[in-house]
Amino acid sequence: MGVNDLSPRLQTRLGKLEMQNPVTVASGTFGLEYDDFFDLNRLGAYVTKTITLHPKIGNPAPRLYETEAGLLNSIGLQNPGVDEFLKSQLPELREKLSIPIIVSFSGGTIEEFITTLKLLEQAQGIDAYEVNISCPNVEKEGIAFGVDALVVYELVRRLRALTAKELIIKLTPNVTDIAGVAVAAEDGGADSLALINTVQGMAIDPLTGKSRIKMGMCGYSGPAIKPIALANVFKVAKRVKLPILAMGGICTWQDAMEFFYAGAGAIAVGTYTFVNPKACMDVINGLDKHFIDNDMTLKEIIGKVYL
Amino acid sequence: MYNKILQIKSIEHLNDAYFVIGIELGESALEILPGQFFEMKRPEFAHPMLRKPISVYDVQGSTVFFMVKKLGKGTQQLSHLKAGDELDVLGPLGNCFPVKDGSMAILVSGGIGYPPLFYLKKQLETAGKTVYWLHGGRCNDDVFPADETWTDDGSCGKRGFVSDGLSAYLENVTPDVIYACGPQQMLKAVHQLAEKHQVPLYVSLEEYMACGIGVCHGCAVKVKTDCEIGVTYKTVCKDGPVFDSREIVWE
Repeated sequence: MGVNDLSPRLQTRLGKLEMQNPVTVASGTFGLEYDDFFDLNRLGAYVTKTITLHPKIGNPAPRLYETEAGLLNSIGLQNPGVDEFLKSQLPELREKLSIPIIVSFSGGTIEEFITTLKLLEQAQGIDAYEVNISCPNVEKEGIAFGVDALVVYELVRRLRALTAKELIIKLTPNVTDIAGVAVAAEDGGADSLALINTVQGMAIDPLTGKSRIKMGMCGYSGPAIKPIALANVFKVAKRVKLPILAMGGICTWQDAMEFFYAGAGAIAVGTYTFVNPKACMDVINGLDKHFIDNDMTLKEIIGKVYL
Repeated sequence: MYNKILQIKSIEHLNDAYFVIGIELGESALEILPGQFFEMKRPEFAHPMLRKPISVYDVQGSTVFFMVKKLGKGTQQLSHLKAGDELDVLGPLGNCFPVKDGSMAILVSGGIGYPPLFYLKKQLETAGKTVYWLHGGRCNDDVFPADETWTDDGSCGKRGFVSDGLSAYLENVTPDVIYACGPQQMLKAVHQLAEKHQVPLYVSLEEYMACGIGVCHGCAVKVKTDCEIGVTYKTVCKDGPVFDSREIVWE
């Protein structure tokens, strides 16, 4: 099947972003390398790994550990920095992809976010931004930006002033009140929300007492976090009007359906791509068949969970 | 590179800890290079989710062999395979051992570091090189045919570390190149000997992996660069698993 062979039943909209289908990839879990496994232009959109103002070499090894139904990771936002991204990575992405490109970026201070966005704004070929606010705020003793609604409001408000493009704020689940943070992002001027980032986790060798991950605490992803992600999407969808891009343990088209019913307008496959390199494609095809077989459209089921 | 579900052609148990799986890969088997690996898992098990990286041990015609050591749940599941069972494979992955000019190569392996060097030895001998292989392990189960074998407990071959054997050997012979695969501490000791004797050394590294194709940056190895801070991380799965030992930051 070619790019345009999918039924319009799958078309969706994330704020200003038109998507041919609701399936994209979670930042950090995908790259052009997957071109060997399926036509990447079949995706609803492409999301880059998180870019920062300066290059980051990432965290020391071990960075990964698989535990029951999930994967712990501590990559440390390894990336070449915004200048190198614009010089070498973005042109390659734009050359190979005709679908929307969503650039994920982050920073250690509000000023770093601003400077990075100003640099990204000068480039051609970016369709949307996903703002990763799960990283430590250097000016607030390393507490993540995304846990403090006031900080999130201020950050989003200042980024909003710099761009007319789709501004997606990616929320962390490691908070007391994710809906409160979502409201702050909405008030600040976000176009849409992405949730959830990884859940904080840890694993220890029971025989030696040594942490499985060099940095100790890390991010947990995979099927184990799907119910957590689903509850968070449900909570946020009840409080804000913004469209939601949902992720957290999605492996199959049935998983995706749960998130649509909970309130998501689009979804991302993350960790499961490492298990099935063409997982995104299987989800798209599964949804397409299900919608045709049942004569339904995506738009009519978003948020229609009943109790 | 491909992801396929294939049937096991053969499985042979060498001892309680090690076994060899054979799979039929058709013409693509001919393209596999020494040092490359595949990620594999049994498709019927949900846990572990991730495939385990396993080095290519040998290629005979269109059949590819993998020597596996039972270490965790994934390799335990593989050990129970029978001929005809299904295996989910992703590969071939990674770079390969470079074959250099010169006539004499030394191989140094420890434990499950043995298989990639076995396939390399075949390639080197086909190219007309002289090969001397030192292999070490904890105990008798870890020992496989080599020119010189060492065990920690003396249960097979000489008692001591394989790096002790290499140290003695290098007093009399200067090879053109050394290839090594094994535990980190062994590789570090071999690196120090190679530096002392000014011999190029290529090591095959092991690290916990997820994607296997350079996307997730999970399998990081610290290497020297000429950038400001002098170090960066490369991926074992895509940039490696074979590295020039001088490039690595040995910690």
